[in-house]
Amino acid sequence: MSPLSSGSQEEFVPASQTELSRFMTENAAVDHRQLFPVGGRTSLAVCCPASQTGIQLCTSQLNRVVDYPIRDLTITVEAGMRIDELIKIVSAEGQRLPLDVPQSNRATIGGVIATNINGPKRFSYGTIRDYVIGISAIDGMGNLFKSGGRVVKNVAGYDLGKMLVGSLGTLAVISQVSLNLRPKPQSMSMVWFQFDSCQTIDQALEAVVTSGTRPIAVEYCNAKAASQIAAEARLELPADHHTLCVCYEGPENEVRWQTDKIASEWNQFSPLHVQTVENEEATRLYDAFTEYQTSSDDPVTIKAILLPSQMMKFIETATQLNIAVQAHAADGIVFGHLPDSASSLDDVQQIFNQLKTTIDPKTGYLNIYQCESDWSDSLPLFCSPPAGWDLMKQFKNALDPEHLLNSQRFNELVEI
Amino acid sequence: MVDDTSQTINLSAPVLEKLEAGSRPFSLLIQKLTGIVGKTGILYNADELLVYECDGYIVDKSAPDIVVFPTTTEQVSATVKICNEFNVPFLARGAGTSLSGGCLPIGGGVMIVLTRMKQILELNLRDRYAIVEPGMVNLHLTNALKGTGYHYAPDPSSQGSCTIGGNIATNSGGPHTLKYGVTTNHVLGLEAVLPDGTIIELGGPTAEVPGYDLHGVYVGNEGTFGICTKAIVRLTRDPEAHRTMLAVFQTIGDATRAISEIIAEGIIPSALEMMDHGIIQAVEEAFHFGFPLDAGAVLLIEVDGLEVAMDAEVSKILELCNKNNVREIQRADTPEERMLIWKSRKQAFGAIGRLSPSYCTQDGVVPRTRLPEILEFIEQTSAKYGLRIVNVFHAGDGNVHPILLFDERDQGQIQLVLEASEEILEKCLELGGSVTGEHGIGVEKINFMSRIFNETDLATMEKVRNIFNPRQICSRDKVLPPHGSGNATKVTQTHPARRAPH
Repeated sequence: MSPLSSGSQEEFVPASQTELSRFMTENAAVDHRQLFPVGGRTSLAVCCPASQTGIQLCTSQLNRVVDYPIRDLTITVEAGMRIDELIKIVSAEGQRLPLDVPQSNRATIGGVIATNINGPKRFSYGTIRDYVIGISAIDGMGNLFKSGGRVVKNVAGYDLGKMLVGSLGTLAVISQVSLNLRPKPQSMSMVWFQFDSCQTIDQALEAVVTSGTRPIAVEYCNAKAASQIAAEARLELPADHHTLCVCYEGPENEVRWQTDKIASEWNQFSPLHVQTVENEEATRLYDAFTEYQTSSDDPVTIKAILLPSQMMKFIETATQLNIAVQAHAADGIVFGHLPDSASSLDDVQQIFNQLKTTIDPKTGYLNIYQCESDWSDSLPLFCSPPAGWDLMKQFKNALDPEHLLNSQRFNELVEI
Repeated sequence: MVDDTSQTINLSAPVLEKLEAGSRPFSLLIQKLTGIVGKTGILYNADELLVYECDGYIVDKSAPDIVVFPTTTEQVSATVKICNEFNVPFLARGAGTSLSGGCLPIGGGVMIVLTRMKQILELNLRDRYAIVEPGMVNLHLTNALKGTGYHYAPDPSSQGSCTIGGNIATNSGGPHTLKYGVTTNHVLGLEAVLPDGTIIELGGPTAEVPGYDLHGVYVGNEGTFGICTKAIVRLTRDPEAHRTMLAVFQTIGDATRAISEIIAEGIIPSALEMMDHGIIQAVEEAFHFGFPLDAGAVLLIEVDGLEVAMDAEVSKILELCNKNNVREIQRADTPEERMLIWKSRKQAFGAIGRLSPSYCTQDGVVPRTRLPEILEFIEQTSAKYGLRIVNVFHAGDGNVHPILLFDERDQGQIQLVLEASEEILEKCLELGGSVTGEHGIGVEKINFMSRIFNETDLATMEKVRNIFNPRQICSRDKVLPPHGSGNATKVTQTHPARRAPH
């Protein structure tokens, strides 16, 4: 198959993993073009700024189910399978992959792994790293390799799948994945609380540590974000203050017991409003929380990774800066959509500098999550080096010695 | 070899094949290591080294030349640097409970025992993590958390003695992994001394870190990526309530079908442990729990969660067991009764001591629905080799632990054990599984690697290993087969060769 022209970047759409491997082998030997793996193109602003030239490796035709032994609760699929398709297949058997993926009608499983997409349920179910039991991928030289297998428990060999989680296509192109599945719960409800201040929110979050309930997710949003989330869910919910929304899943009696219990536990923090959302409405509200991190038309979305105990200090400053904030609060993962008033790179830099003062650099990270393509070359994704960055450089050199795979993003990762 | 005068480290020099006791480099090495860990932190007399000649995998034995007991990361780093200077291989050991020879010092060298680094450095319930030293005994962390409402979830059967550092090396599992996951799901970050002595940090106490998930790659390295000196682990909320049941089935097939149907119902039990006919008899002879001696399988089923949900889950499980021809079910409704039921499972290995002087535990995995096939195959293998094989295992994960009983004083029996083990693991692969679910490749299963993975897979793993351990001076000859063995299709090693590969 010959590369097709697609705007400023060409595109290659392999029909099989072998074809992709062959193409990448030839590229490494002859053309030395920059390669950008793409799935549903939902995270291009993160993974593949438009200003770069090269070839997009599109996995859209690598979308087959390879093996689905239903009663073993595992599935093996090619990496280009869309998330909504995967959900449909496993849902028909009463199963699910317990992850939250925005834009699931476009996002692919390979993309979810490469960008480490996760959402509210991470508090109780973990993230994609916890569900990949086997992986195949093609390195920068075209070598198709695998690790793990198709059984849920397996320690044979090194866990190479982990290095690809969040690797943004800079080490290898993920081509096939085996996943661990879970049974679908019977029901789900959410309780929407409004509190008067960040301090009260912090106290309520601290109380989650010893709550008699076992939430599936604990979501925070400030007033600006709350009104947008409620509107997206088409629900009449008060949104003038700070919101905590707690989610429960399971048999109906267990869910009802927990929604009542959390309302009574948090009564001591004098919530301004408490409302339980059930059935279809709960699903719509949950989906609105899942989508919100990528739903903005605002120029820049940031992601902060913090200790939960240090999170509200950051959120308070972000709120003062008119940022719409959502957080997977019990995990310390914060998303913020910068206001329209941040209309220049200077404005954005100033906001960043103010936010950074609230972060302990030893236990917190502030990153760009999405931004307008015009700015993506000027705003590094990563604002401080992660632990082990020297080793990361060696991983890049070992798996992609010619630096052909999305290498500008990699450089930002390790050369801040 | 070390240059006595300049002490220059030659990193391209080959790692020593043998360190002669009493030689000048040996004496100099002792002197330098003593300078690091003190006289009370080093052993080098042959009789004292005997205890370190093997771990829980007793088929292969090889004593280290020197054992050191560091108490700080800096001492580990200094020890590793000295080993590099002398080109002497080294490896870490925790409690030595590995069942695959992970702590076997192939070719001798220096063993770095971490049992004196066992402090809890931080407990943080609000942010749900603990920072511990690697020699911390797994159970001691959970004991230290008693009363807080939290625990450390991975609980290998050896949790009373195995260490967190060893768990990280092996990516250990345990009976509760079906619901709570294995070690890698609970490690947030770590500090390690690389095989050149550099101290690094990976991950951290936050829920994730930007960049590559290198702490995830590190977990399960079987000691070949250096020595973990600090672990940041996630803490898990205690369940409010438990319900534990013992279900006696006439056949393994009935028990397996019951498991599949329980899970299909949306119930993920926190534990699903199966004992087969052979182990039931052994446990009964030893402890008199009252199991029927003609039962085909006993299933220990535990569910946990909120009290409000328990009764409905138990009713459903009972219904599904009945549907699958359960003979009888014992229920534990009090903590004391629960302890008694678990005692029957946890003492299973103790009961084996009454059956035979030695045993070798295998660790195959099959898709859960293939359990009847693998167990039938194990029974056939037992008959074929005239070896008694009993089974007690994590049925929910499809992780079988056939226990091969033998007498290690009889060389012929050892060879039979090796051959029977090989056939069983080969069958696990044929059924779509793996040769190790939680014990690791170690030295025991290294020849299987080229049957599970192709040359490209192994070459990629080797690239990753070489990032951490380019000289292969650390925990040598583990996990990856040596070059040139990629085309091996059959295990040809015999016990004497396995005893002293170098």
